[in-house]
Amino acid sequence: MLKLVLTRTAASLVAIFGASILAFVLLRVAPADPARLLAGPFATEEVVEAQRVALGLKDSLVSQYFRYIGDFFQGDWGFSFSVGRPVIDQIGSRLPASIELGLYAFIFALVGAVICALLATYRRRRAVDHTINGFALFGLGTPPFWLALIVLLVFFGILDILPGPEGRLSPRQEAPPEVTRMYTIDALLAGQLGTFFDAGKHLLLPALVLGFAPWAFFFRLLRASLLEVSGEQYLATARSKGIRRWTAFRRHALPNAFLPTLTAAGLIFAALLAGSVLVESVYQWPGLGALVRDGVIEQDYAVVQAFILIGAFAYVVVNLVVDILYGVIDPRTRTGSAVTK
Amino acid sequence: MSSTESTQAAGNGHDEPAPLLRVEGLKKDFISGGSRMLGRAGNVVHAVDDVSFSVARGETFGLVGESGCGKSTVARCILRLLEPTAGRIVFDGVDIGPLAADEMRRLRRRMQIVFQDPFGSLNPRMNVEAIVKEPLVIHRIGEQHERSNRVIETLELVGVTEQQARRKPHEFSGGQRQRIALARALILQPDLVILDEPVSALDVSIQAQVLNLLRELQERLNLTYVFIVHDLAVAEYFCDRLAVLYLGAVMELTDRERLFRAPLHPYTGALLSAVPVPDPAVEREREHVVLAGEVSDELATGGCRFKARCPIGRDRDICGEEEPALIAHESGHLAACHFPGELHWLVEPSASEES
Amino acid sequence: MSTSVAEHGQGAGLSPEHGGHVLRVAGLQSEFRSRRGTVKAVRAVSLELEPGQRVGIVGESGSGKSAFALSVLGLLEPPGYVVGGEVILNGRNIAELDDRQMQTVRGKEISIVFQDPMSALNPVKTIGQQITETIRKHQPQLGKKGARAAAIELLRDVEVPAAGRRIDDYPHQYSGGMRQRVMIAIALANQPNVLIADEPTTALDVTTQAQVLTLLDRLVTERGTAVILITHNLGIVAQFCDVVYVMYAGRVVERAATADLFAHPVHPYTEALLRAVPRPDQLAQGPLPSIPGAPPNLAEVAPGCSFESRCPLGRGHKLCRTEVPVSTAAIGFGSGGATAECHFAKERVAEYLDGDATTA
Ligand SMILES: Nc1ncnc2c1ncn2[C@@H]1O[C@H](COP(=O)(O)OP(=O)(O)OP(=O)(O)O)[C@@H](O)[C@H]1O
Ligand SMILES: Nc1ncnc2c1ncn2[C@@H]1O[C@H](COP(=O)(O)OP(=O)(O)OP(=O)(O)O)[C@@H](O)[C@H]1O
Ligand code: SF4
Ligand code: SF4
Ligand SMILES: [Mg+2]
Ligand SMILES: [Mg+2]
Repeated sequence: MLKLVLTRTAASLVAIFGASILAFVLLRVAPADPARLLAGPFATEEVVEAQRVALGLKDSLVSQYFRYIGDFFQGDWGFSFSVGRPVIDQIGSRLPASIELGLYAFIFALVGAVICALLATYRRRRAVDHTINGFALFGLGTPPFWLALIVLLVFFGILDILPGPEGRLSPRQEAPPEVTRMYTIDALLAGQLGTFFDAGKHLLLPALVLGFAPWAFFFRLLRASLLEVSGEQYLATARSKGIRRWTAFRRHALPNAFLPTLTAAGLIFAALLAGSVLVESVYQWPGLGALVRDGVIEQDYAVVQAFILIGAFAYVVVNLVVDILYGVIDPRTRTGSAVTK
Repeated sequence: MSSTESTQAAGNGHDEPAPLLRVEGLKKDFISGGSRMLGRAGNVVHAVDDVSFSVARGETFGLVGESGCGKSTVARCILRLLEPTAGRIVFDGVDIGPLAADEMRRLRRRMQIVFQDPFGSLNPRMNVEAIVKEPLVIHRIGEQHERSNRVIETLELVGVTEQQARRKPHEFSGGQRQRIALARALILQPDLVILDEPVSALDVSIQAQVLNLLRELQERLNLTYVFIVHDLAVAEYFCDRLAVLYLGAVMELTDRERLFRAPLHPYTGALLSAVPVPDPAVEREREHVVLAGEVSDELATGGCRFKARCPIGRDRDICGEEEPALIAHESGHLAACHFPGELHWLVEPSASEES
Repeated sequence: MSTSVAEHGQGAGLSPEHGGHVLRVAGLQSEFRSRRGTVKAVRAVSLELEPGQRVGIVGESGSGKSAFALSVLGLLEPPGYVVGGEVILNGRNIAELDDRQMQTVRGKEISIVFQDPMSALNPVKTIGQQITETIRKHQPQLGKKGARAAAIELLRDVEVPAAGRRIDDYPHQYSGGMRQRVMIAIALANQPNVLIADEPTTALDVTTQAQVLTLLDRLVTERGTAVILITHNLGIVAQFCDVVYVMYAGRVVERAATADLFAHPVHPYTEALLRAVPRPDQLAQGPLPSIPGAPPNLAEVAPGCSFESRCPLGRGHKLCRTEVPVSTAAIGFGSGGATAECHFAKERVAEYLDGDATTA
């Protein structure tokens, strides 16, 4: 088990290294010239050239790369030309918002999918199965942007029971003391229930909208593997011991049914953490998505670069966790011996 | 090497014409269980370990043994679906090892194989006619019209009617599917048909139908069979000569009479004794040799590969020290054992035998 | 080396008027429903089992053997449904019990071993977890430690080497034969009165099959467990069973004491089945007497005898084509209680009796 963790960690480091090179190279070959951007459109060529030297753009690519990595680890993620702030500050304020939203969306998707998959398969009621399935197909086919607008219209515009597009908190609500910078958690830590509920209300719609398609996806995967697993003989074996149907299902079918979903869940989780441009802009959510969109439009490299690295990091870490979970759930991967037919 | 010579002796014992198929010193290794993660090198499985035999024209040669002993691997090496690690396959006087791809293709027309699983081996999307015709198309034989006629003739041969030929495999029962697989093998008019457990997936009543059909076709078309089977009762019914494999090597090789009446190798004896006889009167009188342990992949180095489970040699030193060679103990009766024949009292023929 | 497996039972045959059944199944009916139609897999099957008795059920693939076994235990899952009949276990009709009430029956009074030891064990739980699950369910007083100790004891009993260590292995680390031993350990953990073994050795090699049968024989003899052994291997029946039930197309077409059935098969199907198997102790010549055709489609049961289209005796016979034969007592030989479901059962018995009389 330890060996597994170590080898997987080593592989992850290699992956991150690759991503860092990619991030670095991608932006060096991009058409825009950072020195020109920084110096302004009216600066003379000498000034721009001086800027280049100052930025180290004249050095060899290798040494530029190492400086870039060294700076990165010291918290110097570069300077955002378009906003005029260090990138790390900007990301530091945006990332928790994205993570919080992504986390809730993921929890909605996964918990919802497990419950719905059980409802659809356990009692084998065709009507229930068909209904949820239809809903899931709708979820897979609906653009989140459109859905975001519609639910906003219904719950804010018509019913007026949930807040409108005003970001993470009501305008007059003060942010809780900073710990994790995720408001729901920080509010609970500080015991500010009012803030907690306010943050929760603001999260509800975007998280549901963002999690809808992943929910549908998980549901379909889980339903298929539950159906497959529920025909397995070991369930009959368990029941022949006198174990009740539900207990046998929970103890023996669910863990096995979960295995095929695990990899997909990891990838989707990482994607959700990185934020969503469209949903964030509908709800005025101050997350990473909007930041990166602006960064791309303004040709603000440092922001995009940092985002790529963080994204790669998230994917790699999540995959590492998935691999280890596999090892915990499925003994066949742990012993490294061939899976018997 | 000694085994090669002696096998030839066995094959040509009665001054027969050259055999249709000769397998000489065949070896096939697989690397398996390797794991980069655990830093473990893969261990080599000697799936087939120096196997030699020859099959005369018109004969049915049986390969028997427990699961994993290498039967299918031998078959696939004969067809060169697998490259042997060592050894020669001589088909009708031609060593097929060095043959180029197109020569091999032409030769493959004359050797066909039928697999165990009548469900997996037929393409579910093609109808029966297309399935049976496919080999003709692949080998570019005949005109469109000619091909269709031949398909219908061949299907008739195995007892599938013209009307049924338009159906898809899933509309047939297991026995019928096996007939279709057989038709596909026979349409090229091969000399040699390798039957890899052709009746193992079938019910007894259907099994008898297919076995009878195989017999009948053999006589009509002068076919030579290599028959792979783990059911010893079927092997005894169907084969002229047999080789018993254990962990990739031949333990005993002789005609069915001697193999089933007077086996020399303890493994053969134990196998025969383990098969229950469908007759309570006989069954309750019989002694059973229940072998200890199970087949393991790990070959004991040196000594007899059956030693750990052998009721005769378990405690004898020589069995652990020296690997017994496969040699003829009587004319045409080969066994690889230091103490041949010691177990034979256990498998006496039943009293109720009809002749 | 061991002696023949079935020394037991002293030819205990059928005793017609015996009241002391551990299990009595009467008119059990089950079906599989689908859009294409209803497959009547078990069509009014009755069976009696005395304490310590061994009953064999033989029949071809699809004849309803597994469906019968699952129905007895109430484990048939949709689209399969039990639609009629009684299952009297230790004097109580368990067909009427619900899932909650069945908790104390399954695994305690009756248990089952399935055919495929690869899929019958959960791949993500240790062998130990899967054995203790049943022990803790029915003997909670043992506690966690006690259950584990009992599980190790059981593993030793089924001759798994190094039981104390290998209890923490996962199923994929066991060979097929060892997995089947584990299944037997699970089934016998709480000393049930009845064990159903559904093709317990079909997936195994002959040598492993012999080991597992010998083991099963020892364990059930020691514990006095009554066994229903389902198989399509007539050799195993001959070796292991006191009484044989022959199933065809969801019906029991013949039942008799083992020796009688093999010596005097009354139903034409039984006879054909016995002759279609090559015997390992006889060097056969010529074609095997095969049964033409294939078993009927159970979704559309035709009138008359379901064996009619394949029957050498009754094919084309008007009676056989139009009327379902009823179970007829094959009175006259053996230990009595034998039945066959054929219009000509009486005649066939009479023929046998004549034959016996002339040879005697
Ligand atoms: N492609 C492969 N890679 C690795 N090992 C293999 C491969 N094919 C076969 N083997 C191994 O070679 C040995 C012989 O296998 P083979 O399939 O020839 O046995 P068999 O006698 O046909 O068994 P069965 O009766 O189960 O079909 C086995 O130990 C098997 O695990
Ligand atoms: N899940 C299912 N859905 C529909 N039909 C089924 C299902 N399971 C079994 N059947 C049908 O029920 C009949 C009886 O099947 P069963 O599995 O009891 O046969 P069996 O005698 O155990 O055969 P085998 O020897 O192959 O195990 C068959 O005709 C089969 O096609
Ligand atoms: S050589 Fe020895 S161990 Fe091998 S089979 Fe013969 S008696 Fe047994
Ligand atoms: S009733 Fe008729 S068809 Fe059926 S088994 Fe008897 S003789 Fe054959
Ligand atoms: Mg094989
Ligand atoms: Mg079955």
